[in-house]
Amino acid sequence: MIAARGLTKTYGPKKAVDGIDFTVEPGRVTGFLGPNGAGKSTTMRMVLGLDRPTAGSVTVNGHRYQDSAAPLREVGALLEARALHPGRSARDHLRWLAVSNGIPARRVDHVLDLVGLEGVAGQRVGKFSLGMGQRLGIAVALLGDPPVVVLDEPVNGLDPEGIRWVRNLARELAAGGRTVFISSHLMSEMALTADHLLVIGRGRILADCSTSDFIAEHAASYVRVRSPQPGDVADLLLRQGLDVTRHEDDELRVQGLDAAAIGELVGKSGLFLHELTLVRSSLEDAFMTLTADSVEYSATTTTTAGTAR
Amino acid sequence: MTGTTVALDPNRNVPGVTQPGFSNTVRAEWIKFWSVRSTIWSVVAMVVLGAGLTALVTGTSAEWLASGEADESPAAFLTWGMMFAQITAIVLGTLVVTSEYGTGMIRATLAATPRRGAVLAAKALVLTTTLFVAGTATAFAGYFAGNAFLDAHGIGIPLDADGVLRALFGSGLYMAGLGLLAAAVGLLVRHTAAALSIVLALVFVVGTMVFLLPGAWGEWIGKLMPGNAGSPVTAVVSFNPQVLEPWPGFAVFTAEVAAVLVVAWIAFRRRDA
Repeated sequence: MIAARGLTKTYGPKKAVDGIDFTVEPGRVTGFLGPNGAGKSTTMRMVLGLDRPTAGSVTVNGHRYQDSAAPLREVGALLEARALHPGRSARDHLRWLAVSNGIPARRVDHVLDLVGLEGVAGQRVGKFSLGMGQRLGIAVALLGDPPVVVLDEPVNGLDPEGIRWVRNLARELAAGGRTVFISSHLMSEMALTADHLLVIGRGRILADCSTSDFIAEHAASYVRVRSPQPGDVADLLLRQGLDVTRHEDDELRVQGLDAAAIGELVGKSGLFLHELTLVRSSLEDAFMTLTADSVEYSATTTTTAGTAR
Repeated sequence: MTGTTVALDPNRNVPGVTQPGFSNTVRAEWIKFWSVRSTIWSVVAMVVLGAGLTALVTGTSAEWLASGEADESPAAFLTWGMMFAQITAIVLGTLVVTSEYGTGMIRATLAATPRRGAVLAAKALVLTTTLFVAGTATAFAGYFAGNAFLDAHGIGIPLDADGVLRALFGSGLYMAGLGLLAAAVGLLVRHTAAALSIVLALVFVVGTMVFLLPGAWGEWIGKLMPGNAGSPVTAVVSFNPQVLEPWPGFAVFTAEVAAVLVVAWIAFRRRDA
């Protein structure tokens, strides 16, 4: 279990993490979701005692990470992909980690097998692809067979097969009773992997709920209306107090009334309709909507369709 | 999927685990140290420069030294190559620390061993042990090679002559001290090129230039610069008459290294990784 209370980290005037509270429970995969720069990696570094919180605290299994005698046997972490010396072999990297925490040497070969790197264990990691580096990072995380597993952006650089492998691994670890905490900026990936979501933006927790609740609550829907007289239809619907936005030439997106009621309303007025469709917004869109105000570095062009206000 | 909230004992699945202590940290640092090529190259470079250049300079100067025209003591040449071997000690000391910051490895290191004092102590122990052994061995090799040339011209200096053993073991001590100084500076600036520049400039450039300062205080600053204070212990007879005596000089050097190391240790404990 990981518990943060009032956890805060400031860099100069900027609050990277702004007094957040959360609990990561064992037995399920918790997704830590947020756009780049939202505070995910800073939070994870504080969990691991690498960065000192400006205020508040975070504990693992009830104590600070730094107070563990053999932290790798309590918490396994995949840090940013390349926390490795490029000149060292994968086996040597695992060997020194094992020795540092009194983990038997046979675990090194065990985790190399587990992640599928046994054939390249003697190679220098500088020659590894991004995906192989990620697999080695996951081997590091599992080395001490820890009850808490923290993975920072584990699917970065992995091919589809690798992504599926990480997803299944995370679920297996959670099913075995472990605490699994995975950060990602990909909503779609977390929707498939995580049981519980912790959404962070600009250093604040925006949502802390089960994945299914998140989908039900945040995936907004709208009605797509096409008409040869879009201006008149828009005026009519706006007069009813509905939320209408115009896209392309003849498409209106309407929120506030269901499709049947909109059809009746337009029909009564004698205007023509060419299309009337209920559109369920995707989860990615829901995530974008939720974090829209908290994106640190956004491009100046407007985002794709679907982000109905 | 949820609901299976089993509290897992950290020690359950890994039979044969031992409670790790400082010796684990030292052994881990030892594996890290010797599993990258820069370590082996630095040590090889130290032996080649330190012993090789001593042999070369004594080989080419022995006749002149024996001729009676020489204004230098032959004994001053017996550890001549160590002046250049210093560079490798500085490089190795710097890399032990800055390579971890350059690659992000430091986060893996501190995640494995959060007790930062233990990490620093283990790194220092591995580094100084290696440099002391390699430095002393290099100095002995240089002595035997160089003294063979001097012997051939009848001006050989026996191993038990005054200051010889002190200079040979002193060479190892000085290499260890320089490595530690470089590691401490590396911990403060966390950047290979910056740390190397600072220490090399301090020892080789600033140390020489301050002797140009006028008056007694200029002379004293010169004597107290780390490179000038620490290096006389490595020479049987010093080329530079202005420097401190070997052991007082080395004491000054040790105090300076210790001071930088303490500052580095405080910074290491307080800063984010």
